[in-house]
Amino acid sequence: MENTAERVKAVVARQLKVSPEKVKDNSDFVKDLGAESIQSLELVAAFEEEFDIEMDEEKALQVKTVKDAVDFISKILEK
Amino acid sequence: MKILIFEDEKATNLYPLTYLRPTWELLCGASTLLEKIKRYFPNDEINFWCRPEIAPLLNRKYGKPVNNIKSIIGRESVMLINGRWLMGPGESLPTKAEEQGTCEGALLYGHLAPEKVEPGDDLASLLKKAAGLPKKEIKARLINNLWEPVKYNAEVIKEDFELMGKQGVMGAMAPESTIYGPKERVYIAPGAEIHPMVVLDTKGGPVIIAEGVKVFPFTRIEGPAYIGPNCQIVGGKIREGCSFGPECRVGGEVEESIIQGYSNKYHDGFLGHAHVGEWVNLGALTTNSDLKNDYSTVSVKVGGALQDTGEMKVGSFIGDHTKTSIGTLMNTGTVVGIMCNILGVGALLPKHLPSFAWFIEGKVMKGFGLQNLLQTAKAAMARRKKELLPEEETLLGQIFETTREIRMEAVKKSR
Repeated sequence: MENTAERVKAVVARQLKVSPEKVKDNSDFVKDLGAESIQSLELVAAFEEEFDIEMDEEKALQVKTVKDAVDFISKILEK
Repeated sequence: MKILIFEDEKATNLYPLTYLRPTWELLCGASTLLEKIKRYFPNDEINFWCRPEIAPLLNRKYGKPVNNIKSIIGRESVMLINGRWLMGPGESLPTKAEEQGTCEGALLYGHLAPEKVEPGDDLASLLKKAAGLPKKEIKARLINNLWEPVKYNAEVIKEDFELMGKQGVMGAMAPESTIYGPKERVYIAPGAEIHPMVVLDTKGGPVIIAEGVKVFPFTRIEGPAYIGPNCQIVGGKIREGCSFGPECRVGGEVEESIIQGYSNKYHDGFLGHAHVGEWVNLGALTTNSDLKNDYSTVSVKVGGALQDTGEMKVGSFIGDHTKTSIGTLMNTGTVVGIMCNILGVGALLPKHLPSFAWFIEGKVMKGFGLQNLLQTAKAAMARRKKELLPEEETLLGQIFETTREIRMEAVKKSR
């Protein structure tokens, strides 16, 4: 889980072009990290590539924070 | 006689334009293939047999069941008509039953005696029975490929104009606008408005303006051209061979292109040798190439493989409900599926973009899912006081699933 969280944060920082220390567990992608709608698509694509997974498009839309993303991806990885 | 218009296995060659409509609803000239078939059978009952997946939608739209053998059983003979047949003037059809007409190996028509049609029949068995009839090879225009309606469009507008038998200015034409060329080649329907500083150039063919159309200043429409009901032409060059179905908004430069209806190409940008579905929005400066720099023939991706069209001028094919951003650039012979969302930002589109895919900054993405796209479609349709039918929604859901694999392949390839 810890490793997943670190990798998620690294992807977020890289994709949204923010410094890694700004990416906290409770960071909201839109409100805190300034993600625009197109960037959230790119973020999903980046997560899929990083973890070699497929994220359901509509469920992925419910992911609002870094923690949401970690939980969401962890569940997929568990399967 | 009863008529049964049918779709054969080649209907899917015409994807993405036939995902949401049968082949006979393709526009070519000043009417659809169906309207041309109906011209030959004004007093006969018309029935339909289509792909099963679009049957619920057609049942709803036509208000009578399709794919229904009961509707054609009786004392009358049954004429099977291929729904890809682009009928022109002077087609020869048998008046007596027991004959089939073929074109390039495909059944064009089969005229079955009443006793040949039985309750247990379906389309496959009817076609088999027709294939057993004495054969006549016919030279006809059968739409085999995506680019063919556009190829025939200019000549078909001329034919439709002659067959329509209407001419003259029945609507309002401002005195500061002009008909440049033979005046008898114009038909402006009642309720249409031609504003000042509009040129209708009829030197190359007729200009047909349907009811409710508004042509705004600084528009040049070059015949042959067909502008469908309630379209608005908002300035620019509408060059020869264009057909626009109902309620389109068109501006900029358009040449030899068909727009099925309810679509917007409001702004500057070039659309040439293209066939566009319904509810498409082309953002400002969206442009397609229709001619390669080396003047060689254009290839188009059909069923996953590139196919040489044998044509030098081929534009793009854009499925229903697709939206393009400002500045979208499409290469020669590009095929874009239905419900795609394109944010071009300068990168040339791939030759084929699968249905429901998003194209962002040069990459193919899977987007926000079907529900998001359905919401957008409903919002766009409500602007024209139309509704997305439940049957359309179901069909879109099915196509979303059947195209998932090819979409995901494109997404992965693009990474």
